Amino acid sequence: MPDILRTGLSGLLAFQRALATTSHNVANVGTEGYSRQVTDLATKTPQGYGSGFVGNGVDVVSVRRIFDQFAVQNLRTATANAGQSDTVANFAGQIDDIIGDPTAGISSSLQAYFNAWQDVANNPSSAASRQVLISQAQTLASRFSDASTRLDAVAQNVNDKIRADVTQINSLASQLAKLNADIVAAQSSFTGQPPNDLLDKRDTILTQLAQYTNVTTTSDSDGALNVFIGNGQALVLRNVSQTLTATPSSLDSSKLDISYSGSGGTTITQLLSGGELGGLVQVRDEIIDPTRNQLGLVAVGLAVSVNAQQAAGLDLTGQLGSDIFSVAGPRTLPRSANTGSGSAAASISDISALTGDEYDLRYNGSAYSLVRVSDGSSVALTGAGTVANPFVAEGASIVVAGAPAAGDQFRIQPTRTGASSLASVLSDPRGIAAAGPIRTSAALANAGNASISQGDVLDASNVNLLATASIQFLSATTYSVNGGPAVAYTSGGNIDVNGWRVQISGTPVTGDSFTIQKNTGGAGDNRNALLAAGLQNANVLAGGTTSISGAFSVLVGAVGSEAQQANVSRDAQATLASQAKETVSSISGVNLDEEAADLVRWQHAYQAAAQTIAVAGTLFDTLIAAVRR
Amino acid sequence: MRVSEASMREAWLRTLGTTQSQLARTQNQISTGLRFSKPSEDPIGAVQSLDLSRALAENSQYSRNSDLAANRLGAEETTLASVGDVLQRLHELAVEANNATQTNETRSGIASEVREALGTLIQLANTRDGTGNYLFAGFSSLTQPFSLVGGTVAYSGDQGQRQIQIGSNRQLKDSDNGASIFQAILDGNGVFSAGANPANAGTGLVGQRTVVDPAQYDGGTYAINFTSPTAYEVRDAANVLVTSGTIQIGQAVVPAIAFRGIQFELTGQPAAGDSFQVAASRNQDMFTTVQNFISSLETPVNTAAGQAQLNNKVGNVLNDLDQAISHVLDVRAQVGSRLNAIDAQKDINSDIDLHTQALLSQVKDLDYADAISRLNIQLTGLTASEKAFAQTQNLSLFNYL
Repeated sequence: MPDILRTGLSGLLAFQRALATTSHNVANVGTEGYSRQVTDLATKTPQGYGSGFVGNGVDVVSVRRIFDQFAVQNLRTATANAGQSDTVANFAGQIDDIIGDPTAGISSSLQAYFNAWQDVANNPSSAASRQVLISQAQTLASRFSDASTRLDAVAQNVNDKIRADVTQINSLASQLAKLNADIVAAQSSFTGQPPNDLLDKRDTILTQLAQYTNVTTTSDSDGALNVFIGNGQALVLRNVSQTLTATPSSLDSSKLDISYSGSGGTTITQLLSGGELGGLVQVRDEIIDPTRNQLGLVAVGLAVSVNAQQAAGLDLTGQLGSDIFSVAGPRTLPRSANTGSGSAAASISDISALTGDEYDLRYNGSAYSLVRVSDGSSVALTGAGTVANPFVAEGASIVVAGAPAAGDQFRIQPTRTGASSLASVLSDPRGIAAAGPIRTSAALANAGNASISQGDVLDASNVNLLATASIQFLSATTYSVNGGPAVAYTSGGNIDVNGWRVQISGTPVTGDSFTIQKNTGGAGDNRNALLAAGLQNANVLAGGTTSISGAFSVLVGAVGSEAQQANVSRDAQATLASQAKETVSSISGVNLDEEAADLVRWQHAYQAAAQTIAVAGTLFDTLIAAVRR
Repeated sequence: MRVSEASMREAWLRTLGTTQSQLARTQNQISTGLRFSKPSEDPIGAVQSLDLSRALAENSQYSRNSDLAANRLGAEETTLASVGDVLQRLHELAVEANNATQTNETRSGIASEVREALGTLIQLANTRDGTGNYLFAGFSSLTQPFSLVGGTVAYSGDQGQRQIQIGSNRQLKDSDNGASIFQAILDGNGVFSAGANPANAGTGLVGQRTVVDPAQYDGGTYAINFTSPTAYEVRDAANVLVTSGTIQIGQAVVPAIAFRGIQFELTGQPAAGDSFQVAASRNQDMFTTVQNFISSLETPVNTAAGQAQLNNKVGNVLNDLDQAISHVLDVRAQVGSRLNAIDAQKDINSDIDLHTQALLSQVKDLDYADAISRLNIQLTGLTASEKAFAQTQNLSLFNYL
């Protein structure tokens, strides 16, 4: 006969376990990553009699957690995506603030600077308006370098965060390795029973890891988990974790690359995706660097075009104008792993062809080739790379020297340092070249009615630009310049000599003469100032399609859209992550009402089981009483 | 779907976050009055507002430039009006001096007034603007353009002419140089000048000069030589006979000597051997004209031939003064038309300004009605959501155990 006492006792023990599990659930209602646990009960093997099988009570088969692998995997992916887009949105917002600040920004300074040129044009001999222009040039240059300093600070911040994230990933990886060992040990010592709380802890750490980078996992039958990042790079294999390091990139030491530690560790920067780390690399390569290059392009365009205009005019002291702005040339970085002794130096040759991209100059042992960094496309090189005939590509000219080895590379950043290096170098107000270099005059004794234009500069570097020249009419239809050969006269036709161009129009007669000479004392001349002021809207950039102000507007628009897109994507990803979390919670989370009901249920069951023991006691008493008689 | 404590909190936090960030955005819009405060909130609007602000600033600079150009042209106009007055007075004096009743003494009185007028003219030609720049020096605005050196007035300026940007595609000359105003004046009647040989013994007086057919005049120099008091021959620069003729003095019709498409009247009685010259008009500055006037006034007249000489010279001066007066009027007309152009451009600029302001406002200014109704809806939603959460949180089975 089955033992009622034993059967009752099995119930008591089982319900104790069940009550313990329920109170464990209640206790962990606020624990992050906790999965509610249930006690699985099953009848004990019944005892067979001739009259049938009589139950033997209840067994606790297992305590397991309620857990959906798919939902958790989904949460991890969503967390990684949300981490990435949140990081991108944060940094894009910072860049947006720097570039788009409308009151203290570059755009208003550009406007003020060109307006100052207009004021100089209005009153070229006024020292006051010249001084204002000098100050505006200084303000403008410092706006560019301020913005550049702030962008550099953001880039530095990105580097710091990459380092911190790598440290965090390493720490999480070693925790995972240790947990793997614990779980395998726990599971093997208790015949395959799941160590629920350890599993929860491991899943929580995995989700934390997903905050930093995308992870994928495979599990072994003994409970160990293998963790991979990037597209299959092992981070944790059972109880061994890899260590990552952040080291300066071999091509550009201002950027960090992520690699396995140890000498010759593989670089995996470009393989990583998702999470904060993925976001940091994305924001650096797709927003910060292009913004710095594009801002540099505007600065270089401004400096080069203004200086060129300045050189084509005369200042108040009668000299051809000297530079108003100084700006650094392209940055050329040899790869740190280069084995040859080759070197490369780049300079700006044509601002209208500049792009704001970065390039890699590669040597294959016999020839050089140029590759755009952003998309890996190859860029045509013309020239021979010598000083006399440099390589020319997209507005930059490159001179190579020394003996490079096959496989050597140089990173060329034509406009990276443009904004940071922009400085105003003219401090003497008289140095502003407001006047045209030459002036023309018709002799008063001319009998014809021909008139001469004021003259334009074609080539300010011509050594004879300022030399006095005279145009004598040998007949009504021919003229000679400085007593040279006769040239046929066309009314209004261009006469190009010594780097200048004039037009004579009307009807000259024999003996009429015109003089072109240096514009000495031309304090009231504003021709060059007008041309300099006109540079604001002159399409000098992007192949003659964009002005300096326009290029800046384009940059503001581009950064604004990037930031807007990042915000939209952040909101979407955050919602997805929150939904995924909600799904996981709704499966695995504790519901206190449920637990309250369970408490009542198990309490009642426990009381009933205790009652069966009491009945067993009574039965025994009855039996004893019967025997005692 | 099963609901756990955590999933309920998660769901509520998510909607709370969204509502709160929308509310913050609306609040920020209302407090700044702008539709967006960062380019990322409206990249296209941000670029538009940058471009429009730039257009506004440029436009107001053009208005400023226009005002400045108008000031300068106004100063030039005033100065030229005074120059015209002086020239007009000189013209009156020349007419007066030509009168036969004048004596050597009265003429020297006139001469001293003319000398004063010359001084005034030079002073006017050296007028400076408010910033100390010479108005009529061309580009050399810090160099005094006209100075009386050794009896002649020399020009030290140049032939430059400054332009001012008064519209995005409009440049306008804000001055004229001294050479073009005071020097580039054709003498005679603008095509040719005619004068008497100072050695003439007769009283032949050059009168009305007329261009009959401009196509026939070749710009050459011709001499008209009287072989007798009534017969003359016209010879060109190479002394080749062009034509010859006779004239009858004292007829009802004033006789004229005509050749090569031009003619001039001749009154008085030339003597045999007298000659007259015709030459193409050349530039003669107005100071030289005035100095010629002075020298002719200061030459004493004692004979009838001398009187004729004087009348011929003063007649030339009158011609030259007429040229100068009409030249100054021409320049003033140009200045006036430039002032008109500035007015027109200022109208255009202020239209552009209004239009751009309106566009800019459309792009960046907030529609308050819309924003405030949005704020109300968002506030209501947030309050309701908070209440609902608080109430559901109070529900628990444990309350009843």
